[in-house]
Formats: sequence, structure tokens, C-alpha cells
Amino acid sequence: MTAAGSGAADAGQACRVSWSLSAHARGLLTLALAALVIAILTGRPEFAGVAAPAVLLLAGWRARRPGSVMVTVRVSARQLVEGEQAAIIAEISGHGDLAVQASIRATPAFSTGPPVNHRTAGQPGAGQAADDHPAAGASLRVPFQAHRWGVRRIGRLEIVLRDRFRLSEGRLSVELPRIDCHPLPAPLRGRIVLSRLPSRLGEHPSRALGEGIEFAGVRQFVPGDRQRRINWPATTRSGTVQLNTFTAERTQNVVILADATANVGEPGATSLDLAFRAAAGTINCYLAAGDRVGLVVYGDRLSWIGPGLGRRHFHRLMDLLLASQRGQERASGLTRLPRAALPPGALIVVFSPLLHPRLVEALRDLRERGCSVLVVDVLAAGPPRSRDRVGDLARRIWRLEQQAIRFSLTELGIPVVHWDGQQSLDEPLAPYTRRVMLAGRA
Amino acid sequence: MSGVLGRLRAPAAAGLLAAVTIAWAVLPAAGAKPGLRVAVVVAVACAVASLAHLAVGDTEIGGDAFDPPLVRLAAQAVHLIRTLPWSELMIIAVLALEALHHSRPWHTGVLGVALLAYLFAAHLAQTRTGPGALRPQLPVLAAGLGLLVLAVGAAALPRLHAGPGSELLRVLAVIAAVIAGGLALPATHRR
Repeated sequence: MTAAGSGAADAGQACRVSWSLSAHARGLLTLALAALVIAILTGRPEFAGVAAPAVLLLAGWRARRPGSVMVTVRVSARQLVEGEQAAIIAEISGHGDLAVQASIRATPAFSTGPPVNHRTAGQPGAGQAADDHPAAGASLRVPFQAHRWGVRRIGRLEIVLRDRFRLSEGRLSVELPRIDCHPLPAPLRGRIVLSRLPSRLGEHPSRALGEGIEFAGVRQFVPGDRQRRINWPATTRSGTVQLNTFTAERTQNVVILADATANVGEPGATSLDLAFRAAAGTINCYLAAGDRVGLVVYGDRLSWIGPGLGRRHFHRLMDLLLASQRGQERASGLTRLPRAALPPGALIVVFSPLLHPRLVEALRDLRERGCSVLVVDVLAAGPPRSRDRVGDLARRIWRLEQQAIRFSLTELGIPVVHWDGQQSLDEPLAPYTRRVMLAGRA
Repeated sequence: MSGVLGRLRAPAAAGLLAAVTIAWAVLPAAGAKPGLRVAVVVAVACAVASLAHLAVGDTEIGGDAFDPPLVRLAAQAVHLIRTLPWSELMIIAVLALEALHHSRPWHTGVLGVALLAYLFAAHLAQTRTGPGALRPQLPVLAAGLGLLVLAVGAAALPRLHAGPGSELLRVLAVIAAVIAGGLALPATHRR
């Protein structure tokens, strides 16, 4: 998922440096002037001595400073997963022997560490360094961490240039590119397998007999059977030649339906966050098992990708997740999902807070069409508690309504499980991963 | 945990040096000229504000139109802390404190060294760099401290003639020596 080391390079750009007196220089200037004034006013030469070190340091002031420097910024990875670290690699040239410090002013979706220093020829051990030759330019690696999924702006890279006595500071700022941050896949190891699988070679043992490796039973030998499959103990007992039979191994079509119509809850653990993390985890799990996985994002518009296999398909699905709009309540009015998005015999796993009535209608329609549907409820928030009696009553009515929606789906044969985002997805799905799920029936 | 401790080390050093500097300038309180108490209050207040500035750093507080009143108050306090030059005001207050006492050259010399150390510690805390960044300044700093020792020695010498202009002459002589050193040393250091 992480394209480490494959970050795209941005062309170098000349950045204008704005110079000012450093806070350190202001402090030294204050110390020198105050001590000299007091020395003259009080007639005490020791105060003039106090000013001496500051005066000598200030005498090292240099008026010649570069007006602009060349800055090239690269991101070590253009695709991240929530919680993953990457780095901005900044290459600065044209700064001479000035010390360079770089830091990221990050947007709320990212966090950064302390500023990174580039040591110059006279400053050993001052930080991470590329080389000690001042003319060769500075290369700094500023790490950052992504906290929220989405296509997001990292922020700005702020670079500070300082002379050797740290009396003047030159500041410049570079806008950093956007990066794709994928949702952190929810842990899922077990898989739901339908009882009827399409006749396509895969890894799931089906009910039909075939050329798999899972033992199915013993039957009498008929001419044309392979001799290597003869079961010799059974043959000895029965007196006739007996043969081992095996199950056929089939693949499964899985369609993930992520509900993006509502986004409620605490930031970082909203229903949309949970739905997308669960969808990413499920996609990961089924693709790893060699199944064909498709994705339907039910948001302000319906977008889908049909089932497919492989790493490239995984990235296509992730791109579709990231491309969906967040928290939109503009429903498409669609209560019937298109047949093209749902191959026959597919397992449909829905991640939804079940707040949008049109999606509930769409699920009922799917059930009526005979699809195998399982709903993972990702609603982890509710109306706030109220001391007001009417507010409390409204809250209770809302909860009863939610329970009624879930009950009606269960009555239709659509199992509904709840996932809170904290535990593994295996826990709520355990009743369905331990045994084969009957296709078309729950 | 070690990262947090490492980040707090420089501001803690600056705070300790500020406290030591103020205490050194105040003591002994007996025999000082009037105005000592006011100068102490100003110095302590400025030291606290400058340390708060170091601790807050560039952290943004609030900024949302719907922030609660407490957050808005905190944001205004941080803005005030960032606006005024508290560190410089503390230096002036500490030097004024020292000037309120009778002449004691070696005491003033130690105070000057402590003030310099505070300035460097505050700079390291503000820029979040290691002490190695100050290595290029060491030769000049050593020369400046040498001049400071000479000035303290000159002040401690017994006075031969207690005429009205003798004190001023001594001061001007030390200032001239400091300026001469300032003009001469960087020229050799630039090479």
C-alpha cells in the first residue's frame, strides 16, 4: 500500500527569503545597550564589561545574505495508510554556509516531529546531515505522520536560514503537495463463504466434487478414474476397488457496499471512518484469498467497480473510496442498485450506519432479488443525552426506530451485526465465518 | 517519554538560569536603594512570561469562530505573550536590580555571565537546536568574557584620585576597550 521510496519529485523552485533580526540578536543588543547605558549613568565600569561579550558577538553581523535559494521538495511516499509515517525530502541550494532548519506546519490530519537541522561545516552534531560541504547544498528529511484518511494537503514546509552567529534569520515557506491517505484496514482473518460458488477456479472448497485437495468421500472405482486416487484400506475392506473423491475449489464474488450518505460520531471514529476502514479490511482479506472483490460506494452519487483480482485492482478500489464525497446528505434517490455492480451469486457485505432510509430500501430490494446480503452496522454515536423530558423522549423514539430498522432487516433474512471500530471485525462476523453461509438465504 | 524530556530540557535550563539570575541580582536585599521591590516584581513577571513563550512555542490555540470563552481567553493570553519582548524586558530589569546595589564588580561580572547563559539557553529552546550549534561563537564568546574579566578587574582596582571625572573616565576607557575588541575580533574571525 505504501509506495515507499517512489515519491514523485517536484521541480526545484527559486524561493524568496525574507530576512529579519533574530530573537537572539535582539537579546544580545538589549543586553549590550542596557549595560552600556547603566555603566555611563552609574559610573560603574563593570557594567561596560557585562556588555563586552554581547558587543563582540554583534560585531560579527554580516550584511551579505542571499535574496533567494533553490528549493526542491519530494515526498517519500504519495500513498499512505492512516498512522503511517513518511518524510518530506527538501533539497536546498544557494544558501552558502548558512545553517538550515526545516519544519512542517501541518494541517490537522497530519502530525510532525521537531524541526530538523542541517549541519554546516562549522557545526558538527547539530542534526541530520547530508554532507559537510557548504557549497553542495543541504538535504533534509522531515518526517510526518498521517492521522486521517482522504486526499489531503500536508501543509507547508518552513525553512529557516541562520548565519553562524545566529544574528539574522531568513525565512521561506513552500507549499507541500497533496497525498492519498488510505483508511487503516480493520483486522479481519476469517472469511464468509457462500454455499453456492460460481464455477471459477479459486481457493474455497465447494460442495461439488472436483480436482481440489480437500477430501470429500469414497466411491467405487469406474474405468477411466485415476489409479493414484485409489483408497487401498477401503479397497481391502470392501473387496472392490474404492476411490477417494475431493471437493472442487472455487472462487467467490464479493461486493462491498460502503455507505457514505451519513457521517456521524466523534472525529476520527465517525460512521464513515468505520465504514471505510471495515471496507478496506474486508477488501484486503478477500483479495488475499484470491476472491474477486467489487466495491459500491453509496453516497451522493452511486459509484462502483465490478469484481476483480490483484494488487492493481486493490488500488482501484482504494481510489474509489477516497474519491467519494464525505458526509453528503444529498441522496441520489436510488433505491435499486444496478445489476452491473452485482454479479449473480455474489456475497454482498454492507457497511452502513443504517441512517438513510433509501439505503435500507435498497437493501430490502436486494433481498427480494435473492442476493446474499450481510450488514455490518457501524453506527457508534447517538443523539446526546438530554435532561429535558421531551429531548429524552425523542432520544428513546430514535433508538426504537433504529432497532425497528435492524429488526425488519433481520426478519427479511438479512443478518445485521454491529462493529464498534475497536475490536477486530472477526468478532461480530464469527457466527458467519465459522460455517458456510447458505446462498440466497441467511 | 524521553522525547518529551528532551524537548523540555532547554526551556527548563532557561527557566533555571532566569531564576538564578534574578536571585543573584537581588541578593543581598539589605542596603539596596529604593525601587528594589518594583524591579523584582517586573523581573519575575517578565521571566515567567518569557518562559511561557518558550513553552508555548508555535502552538496554535483556538482559531475557530465557535471556540468556548476559555479557549478564546487562552488564545488572547498566548497572543500577548508572543507580542511583547519579555526576555529583553527581563534583562533590563535584572541589570536595573544590580544597579540598585552599591558597587560590587565581581558580583556584576558573574551576573553578566549568567545573563549570557540565559540568552543562549533561551535561544536553543526557541530554535530547538542542540548546543553544538553554538560552537562557532565560542572563540568570540571567550574573547568577550576575557574583556569582561578585564573590566571587572579595572573596576576593582583601588581609586587613586577621587575626582568628579575619574569615574566617568574609567567607564569610557572600558567602553573604548570593548568597542576596540569588537572591531578587531570579527575581522580576524571572518578569515
